[in-house]
Amino acid sequence: MELPENPNKDNNGYESAEKIILRWDSTASEDAREKMIFETDRHEADLYLQAVDEIQRSLSNASISAAAAYDQSKVNSTIQIAMARLEDEFRNILMTHSSALETDSLFDPSSSSFSSSSHHELEEDDTVSNEDSSHNGLLHFQFQHCESSDSSTYRSTSSIREVDLMPAEAISDLQAIATRMISSGYLRECIQMYGSVRKSAMDSSFSKLGIEKLSIGDIQRLEWEALESKIRRWIRAAKVCVGILFASEKKLCELIFECIGTDIDDACFMETVKGPAIQLFSFAEAISISRRSPEKLFKILDLHDALMDLLPDIEAVFDSKSSDSIRVQAAEILSRLAEAARGILSEFESAILREPSRVPVPGGTIHPLTRYVMNYISLISDYKQTLIELIMSKPSTGSRYSGDQSIPDMEFAELEGKTPLALHLIWIIVVLQFNLEGKSKHYRDASLAHLFIMNNVHYIVQKVKGSPELREMIGDDYLRKLTGKFRQAATSYQRATWVSVLYCLRDEGLHVSGSFSSGVSKSALRERFKTFNAMFEEVHRTQATWLIPDTQLREELRISISEKLIPAYRSFLGRFRSHIESGKHPENYIKYSVEDLETAVLDFFEGYPVSHQQLRKRSQ
Amino acid sequence: MPATDYQASFLGRISLRRNQVIAMDGNHEQEDLELFSKHVSERFTELLSPPDDVVFDTLLSISWLRKLLDVFLCCEAEFKAVLMMGDDDHPFQISKPPLDRLIHEFLDRSIKALDLCNAVTNGLDSVRHYQKLAEIAASALGQKPIGDGQARRSRKALNSLLMAMSVDDKECSAVKTTERSWSFSRLAVNKDRSPGHLRQVAKKWSAAKQIQAMTWNLVPPRGAEGSGLASPVYTMSVIMVFVMWALAAAIPCQERNGLSATYFPVRKQWSWDQSITGLHEKIAEEWKEKEKKGAAGLLSEVQKMEKLVRNLMEFTDSFQFHGGTDEKAEEAADHAAELAEICKRMEEGLLPLQMKIKEVFHRIVRSRAEFLQALKQGGKSSAPPV
Repeated sequence: MELPENPNKDNNGYESAEKIILRWDSTASEDAREKMIFETDRHEADLYLQAVDEIQRSLSNASISAAAAYDQSKVNSTIQIAMARLEDEFRNILMTHSSALETDSLFDPSSSSFSSSSHHELEEDDTVSNEDSSHNGLLHFQFQHCESSDSSTYRSTSSIREVDLMPAEAISDLQAIATRMISSGYLRECIQMYGSVRKSAMDSSFSKLGIEKLSIGDIQRLEWEALESKIRRWIRAAKVCVGILFASEKKLCELIFECIGTDIDDACFMETVKGPAIQLFSFAEAISISRRSPEKLFKILDLHDALMDLLPDIEAVFDSKSSDSIRVQAAEILSRLAEAARGILSEFESAILREPSRVPVPGGTIHPLTRYVMNYISLISDYKQTLIELIMSKPSTGSRYSGDQSIPDMEFAELEGKTPLALHLIWIIVVLQFNLEGKSKHYRDASLAHLFIMNNVHYIVQKVKGSPELREMIGDDYLRKLTGKFRQAATSYQRATWVSVLYCLRDEGLHVSGSFSSGVSKSALRERFKTFNAMFEEVHRTQATWLIPDTQLREELRISISEKLIPAYRSFLGRFRSHIESGKHPENYIKYSVEDLETAVLDFFEGYPVSHQQLRKRSQ
Repeated sequence: MPATDYQASFLGRISLRRNQVIAMDGNHEQEDLELFSKHVSERFTELLSPPDDVVFDTLLSISWLRKLLDVFLCCEAEFKAVLMMGDDDHPFQISKPPLDRLIHEFLDRSIKALDLCNAVTNGLDSVRHYQKLAEIAASALGQKPIGDGQARRSRKALNSLLMAMSVDDKECSAVKTTERSWSFSRLAVNKDRSPGHLRQVAKKWSAAKQIQAMTWNLVPPRGAEGSGLASPVYTMSVIMVFVMWALAAAIPCQERNGLSATYFPVRKQWSWDQSITGLHEKIAEEWKEKEKKGAAGLLSEVQKMEKLVRNLMEFTDSFQFHGGTDEKAEEAADHAAELAEICKRMEEGLLPLQMKIKEVFHRIVRSRAEFLQALKQGGKSSAPPV
């Protein structure tokens, strides 16, 4: 119960307050409509607020004081006029200070997603020359220069940087007005109006971030390449959006409404940002829903990492009950992206297994599939940090007991202690080889088939050795196995080609015992020479067009061939040339010198056809 | 019955069968197909009458919509089981023609349905906006006696509300209306004319066109096709289109021009045809009536709200100039109370409805992923891009 004050004073206080309020009734006077109190004069503003307070006091006093001479409804009416006025003032102040943020200046150049250390450029020669490349699903996707993400770029610290959206004076004015409105029961109006003005400002700022409004249908229809650049843009924009735009807006709400209650500032905040927030996340959601195919893996991982990075900020900014749905949505999108990544990896493994091209690569060189797969898994090893956490189950391999010939099996006992990701990588190599074995069978020439396997497995080994992360995951044990494999293929090649050639240079069968001959059958000898020449020419002609891309490997194989061929020929010549030279037309039989052969071996595996003339020329 | 219960019992039956070492033959499949049709028919017939707790004379209330979505979820669960169970007998049956093409078309419709879910969710936010404005008016006019102050206050809110509804309607029907003029604050006219509260799905996106596109290729399977898995695919497609159509009818969403005339290609062969067609006709009729008046969605609560708002506007208008008679004031107070009641319904029902739509969204996403997986495993990776 208040101390009884001079009722006349009260009366006067009320009356003068009422006067002020009626003076500023915008429905009543032109003048009142034209000017804004808070723009005009600090003093006027203060007076007005005091007047409002006075009226409000009267309202509460009226129920207590017996000397209530005021008409209750008149007071109500005055309050309503005051509130209408304050609403206008509030709106005006808001709009004066609600211009869109210049978001361009907010992008931090140092956190660019274009990592300078993109050491993951794919090999130059990824283009497919193979005929049926257009048909097989896997190779159809050209693997262009894929910008890697240095995973560490995304796993950065919080990007929350609150910007002052309004000068402090404006904020305190808004706060003063809001307090009065809310204490008069005009909370709803306050929230509505705040929301509608700030919404416009937020929408403008948001639209400058360049995140397009696309439906899920639109996104399914777009080419993946186009989507990749949108994802990049999204990742950069999302950080600014959450960390700066939303965070600043939240701070503003808190500043204005802090004395009044948290529910109110939450409500105002959600009114303002709900639209952009939904638009922001629906892009990521649409991407997480899109069809899975191998070339999408890395951008999906980028998006996953960026969102994971953003999650703490999202939780900090959207921490109220009314923003539950946003947090939940973000978490759901994240898990869907993870699922997509896993699915794509399985998809990739199946695709390698099924890759159907049958046309053999000319020259037995490295198959585009091999390049694609090895480049792909090198990139995977770059994303090791993320994928190690995402990939949790072992690959589903064939079993030696199932009798299913269409899937290879992998012995897990030897691979004890390896992470699931590493197991998947090894499995991929196993499956790749399995597929390559199948392809090698399409070569009519068995030697070429061996060469093909040698080339491709060697390439695999080189790629593994070339990437420390990959090597570490694959492990040296398996690497040794692979090495052994290509060496074995080399050996098989040599056996397949040269055994029969060298057979011509053997001793047995040339000596005849008894009678008048010197012990050597001249006809047999001539036959041998002729056969050897023909065989060698054939092999030379054919295998010059074969290709071993790796210089060192090529050299090694040639040396290995020479080591067997040259001594054998030299000793054969040494022992038997005199027999031929003593007969007719020795040049028909001894066509080549040792040097000729040595030189000829240098033509092997160059990938160029050689003419018969070239061989002969040297012998002149 | 709630979706989850049904799913559990149905899947329970499947696992029981798997344990039995009985060769599954075509008869079982046929049985399941018939059962599926029967259940669909039953559920939709139930929907012909409004839920018990509803007092509106129109069908499309918030709780009816929630029931509709529950029905969708149940049917979808059964549908998936039927399709994938057939899969066990003849692995990857769905990846073989002609079923694979039908499934792809179905998945294409699913994508459109997802966008429609988003559009409807946006629309529900608009409806919530109406609710907030209506609450202001209802509470102001709820005080007795109604004074000048309250009348003005509620008039302001009512004005905003009507404007919001008409702007949304404009958004939805892309028809130009004349700007309303405002008698109060000079600021209201120009600066406050925000381009509609309704959030867009995408530029030039149209709910009507999406739903129309969903009906392309929606052809009842004929002859031999009709007895296989093609028929549940058709059934589920019709269900999906109908549900989306009903939602778009009820709730303001981006660009609904021409939606009322959507054609449903059904054949009266199955029992469920009649129930769905019946519902469609009922809603279409209600729509024809309202279309003349120009409404922001057919949602019963919004319709009722609009009527009350107009009544109250009349009252506050006359109050301003003539003062109020006791009778009129009494009437206004009643209307205000009704309005408050509607707001309460919305307060209680809108969020659960939004969550239900989200559930539907997730279910469609999940099923789509499973179908895509099954199609891929079936072999041919050369599928049309969707």
